[in-house]
Amino acid sequence: MPKSSMKTIKRRIKSVGSTLQITKAMEMVASSKLRRAKSRAEALRPYFEAHAELLSDIAVSKPDFTTIFTAKREVKNRLFIVIAGDRGLAGGYNTNLFRLVTDTEKESDAPVKYIAIGRCTVDFFKKREREVIAEYPYFCENVKPGRCADIADVVTDIFKAGEVDEVKLFYTAYVSALRQDVTVLPLLPFTTESGYSGSENSRSPLINYDPSPEAVFDRIIPKMLLSIISSACVQSFASEQSARRNAMESASDNAAEMIEKLSLQYNRARQEKITNEINEIVGGANAIS
Amino acid sequence: MTPFNLQIITPNGYFFNGEAESVIVRTTVGDKGILARHEPYAAALGTGKIRVLRDGSYHLAALSSGIIKVGEDKTVILAQSCEWSENIDIKRAEFAKKAAEEKLSDANLSANEIAIAEFKLKRAINRLHAVEK
Repeated sequence: MPKSSMKTIKRRIKSVGSTLQITKAMEMVASSKLRRAKSRAEALRPYFEAHAELLSDIAVSKPDFTTIFTAKREVKNRLFIVIAGDRGLAGGYNTNLFRLVTDTEKESDAPVKYIAIGRCTVDFFKKREREVIAEYPYFCENVKPGRCADIADVVTDIFKAGEVDEVKLFYTAYVSALRQDVTVLPLLPFTTESGYSGSENSRSPLINYDPSPEAVFDRIIPKMLLSIISSACVQSFASEQSARRNAMESASDNAAEMIEKLSLQYNRARQEKITNEINEIVGGANAIS
Repeated sequence: MTPFNLQIITPNGYFFNGEAESVIVRTTVGDKGILARHEPYAAALGTGKIRVLRDGSYHLAALSSGIIKVGEDKTVILAQSCEWSENIDIKRAEFAKKAAEEKLSDANLSANEIAIAEFKLKRAINRLHAVEK
């Protein structure tokens, strides 16, 4: 085998090796970010659950009441809140979610407004010329309650003003390290059946609401949205890191496998070269004697 | 006084979880004091101070935007943020106050922006007050 081929193999081994280093590093970064996101999700849980419990208490004690947040209206305008990643290279993390969004969009003819969270989300919907009313790039990595409250306020305001009649939240739920589910969650109008019932006990607690159950309920809704949105952001971030870690893990595995194959090829080529040289020497010696 | 279980929960986790003898909160309709064996009660809280009586002395904290729920076995306060007065970063609060005031002096703001800036101003003032007391 010619010498140049050995050189090419060597060069390829080197380039695959440096790719391997990058994917390994990204894998490591993703797993440490994942760990942090998990602990943040853990911290958020009591806040979220306490709200859910309070809401279901109110719903149980006064099942017949309606406020502007619970009344169902004819859907003329829709609002989608979409939470996806800030960066690519995370397997199908972004594309899976966007597919769900575009599928849901086609379900009805009512026009859709978007609140885009995450840089990839902003790019995706701007490129497709959708109406993006608010954008929050680089939001999920460091979720601040105050900024989630801003989003919740914007959502409640435009819902109250009647600009939209339905609000849906799209995010990737973190189930386990190997499983992340793209999820669509109807936020408004608010129904207590839609998975928020915190406590199962249906006994009616006699609570004195100050000034009225409706007032307390209307007060809770923005806070509930805040806690749902921040929990969705944290979960999405955990899912993104997990997806990236898995993608990088298989990329690293592939790279390692490739290096093995290439080294085998290289060694074979080297062996062949040595054999050829010996043959030449032996041939030359034979010719002299 | 008889102690009762008090939990103060923020998006960052449990801010306080333990026994308290009394807690005074500022609801949207006025101040309210809670002692042990209070009737079940729920109310929205505005931005204001809360006082927790514990081991014979009051501990002051600045709270922004929350809900209180008094149940049979425990009292839960849900707040967007909450800090003990001794932990408040005065410089940061003053900076936030100034920033909010500057924002509000801008004439062409949307109603929503005004509401947000006002909320931030209120929160900053509340924090500064909690330190002074």
